[in-house]
Amino acid sequence: MLIGASGFIGSAVQRRLEEEAISTLALGSADIDLLDTSASIHIAEALHPNDAVVMLAALTPDKGRDIATLMKNLTMMQSVCAAIEKSGCAHLIYISSDAVYDSRMNRTTEETPASPPDLYGAMHHTREIMARSLGQVPVLVLRPTVVYGLDDTHNSYGPNRFRRAAKNDGKITLFGGGEETRDHIHVDDIAALTVRCLLHKSTGLLNAATGRSASFHYVAEMVANQFGNSIEIITTPRANPITHRHYDVTNLIKAFPDFRFIDLVDGIALVHKESLVTA
Amino acid sequence: MTTPIIGYAGMTHLGLNSAVAAAEKGFQTVCYDADSLVISQLARTELSIVEPDLSELLKKNIDRIKFTADLSQLRSCDLVYIASDVLTDDLGKSDLEPIGALIAEVATGMRPDAVMVVLSQVPPGFTRGLFREDRQLYYQVETLIFGQAIQRALHPERFIVGCAEPHEPLPPAFAQYLESFDCPILPMRYESAELAKISINVCLVASVSVANTMAELCESIGADWSEIVPSLKLDRRIGQYSYLAPGLGIGGGNLERDLATVCNLADQNGTDAGVVRAWIANSHHRRDWVLRSLYREVLSKTDNPVIAVLGLAYKQDTDSTKNSPSLALLDHLQSFQVRVFDPVVPASEVPNPRCHGAESEYEACEGADVLAVMTPWRQFKDLGLHEVAKAMRGRVVLDPYGVFDSEQCSDAGLSHHTLGVGAFGVGTLA
Repeated sequence: MLIGASGFIGSAVQRRLEEEAISTLALGSADIDLLDTSASIHIAEALHPNDAVVMLAALTPDKGRDIATLMKNLTMMQSVCAAIEKSGCAHLIYISSDAVYDSRMNRTTEETPASPPDLYGAMHHTREIMARSLGQVPVLVLRPTVVYGLDDTHNSYGPNRFRRAAKNDGKITLFGGGEETRDHIHVDDIAALTVRCLLHKSTGLLNAATGRSASFHYVAEMVANQFGNSIEIITTPRANPITHRHYDVTNLIKAFPDFRFIDLVDGIALVHKESLVTA
Repeated sequence: MTTPIIGYAGMTHLGLNSAVAAAEKGFQTVCYDADSLVISQLARTELSIVEPDLSELLKKNIDRIKFTADLSQLRSCDLVYIASDVLTDDLGKSDLEPIGALIAEVATGMRPDAVMVVLSQVPPGFTRGLFREDRQLYYQVETLIFGQAIQRALHPERFIVGCAEPHEPLPPAFAQYLESFDCPILPMRYESAELAKISINVCLVASVSVANTMAELCESIGADWSEIVPSLKLDRRIGQYSYLAPGLGIGGGNLERDLATVCNLADQNGTDAGVVRAWIANSHHRRDWVLRSLYREVLSKTDNPVIAVLGLAYKQDTDSTKNSPSLALLDHLQSFQVRVFDPVVPASEVPNPRCHGAESEYEACEGADVLAVMTPWRQFKDLGLHEVAKAMRGRVVLDPYGVFDSEQCSDAGLSHHTLGVGAFGVGTLA
């Protein structure tokens, strides 16, 4: 059961599940309203004890960063947890976020303490704890880093916004000089990792990151290159201190030593190519 | 004054090396172990441990050493060392039950006027717990290093002796024995001596952690740690014998035990051990250097790679595999074909069903996409790198300890990766 199947990551996971010929009940926001009091009943009716659940439905920050959004997100998770408590399931993967980490934390591992700096991070951290509270259900929490891909609608700072800015405005505007480094992962890698974790029935906590960080300036250059170097990269006076984030993905390598990530340069080129086809 | 007879109870690594060193210094020595099989093998000078010079010195001094499983033989001794190694679990926690039982047993066998010295690795407070008014009891710090045990037992830098009353002179037999080594003797309280032993190891871990931290930075920014080390060793505050060689974390068990003891004591007493926990975390991080490099260079690029591994022991000149980085690496490579060779450790210790135990280094390299040198055995230095390259299918050599010379690897067409050395111009991605 894939809950949140119509979203950016959910769609990619659904595609991957289909490629692997894994029988899937994909539920998007059009299929079920997790804020409705009857949601847990509907989920419980469709859920069987041998099923696995991937939960990634959430109101993302672009839908709101306030307390009301936090409470809605917790209610959505409450519906899912109530259904699992009633019907049981064999495996639960909760797709969380690296927002649970303090933004000042640089080198990040699974041992890095969660210390969310805002309500969005607190929401994911709370939902992780809700998932783990489900008694006998084996739970994996997957914490993706910055995800990019063609279908991203969130327009957050990074490859997706840079591509749109380059296409629409002919320029990419950076915060400061774009010195900050982040680990960018292609949405198809998140989907592939999710399916691997399902097949291995992985439990515990795993950061979904590539282990290689790049500066936003570098990413902007790579995006600009797709347009034939006609794109202007504009730096601005720095308003905030520079922060970096690097992931130590040793645990991921130990879990899946033959997993191959999409290289950032290749991934940016792939998304650009897909966007041309879509256009 | 007659020459004292020295007894050693517990014929593990520590006890045997210490006893052979005593015999080499000219003392009649009684070696006791309740295991008659162990005793009969030692009496035939058959060793189950690997240690440079141990076999030769044992044979040379066999007339001065009496191996026995008969406890009453300790009655002839003026000084009896409790010298059994204390085993630890994976978290570095000591199992003190066996040594407690050994001490109780030896106390019934030795003369009441003889001196008992605890040489085993015990936590602070342990010796005080054994103290009785009618027993001459001391604790002596051991600083055994696997692979250098005999040399260090014969030429100690100093003796650190834990006493019930440090201001009173040592018993004549004990003093005579220690003075024969011609090095400083430092009497102190039991607790101070027990903590001195741990303090020494904590200092070593601190140095190694500095080396590991800075070496990793070197790899990222294109510096070479081996160029930096001499400049540190010439600084008197750091010193020429300081532990500055980067490695794959802390191994062997003893250092981990002491770090765990410090953390436990700090937790019990509310003192700050944050830095010690940081060293432990750093050690765990560095242990996986080869795995990360292997992933970066080979696993993320090559289908069905064949991986050659030279060395299984946790360090050279020992058959100990406790906390061995090599076995830790191999544990994560169970889905791959691996070929291993170690001069003393059998391939049967490898937790991998697809492991091939090779008869030689070159055989291990046959058809390999990558070679990982996981233990710096001296004999690996003499390998012909052109022959290695010829045997291998791939070009990548992961050599954390720098057993091979980078230029010679390059001449042989091999891509050499070692701890603390970054490529010129290699920094962060942007």
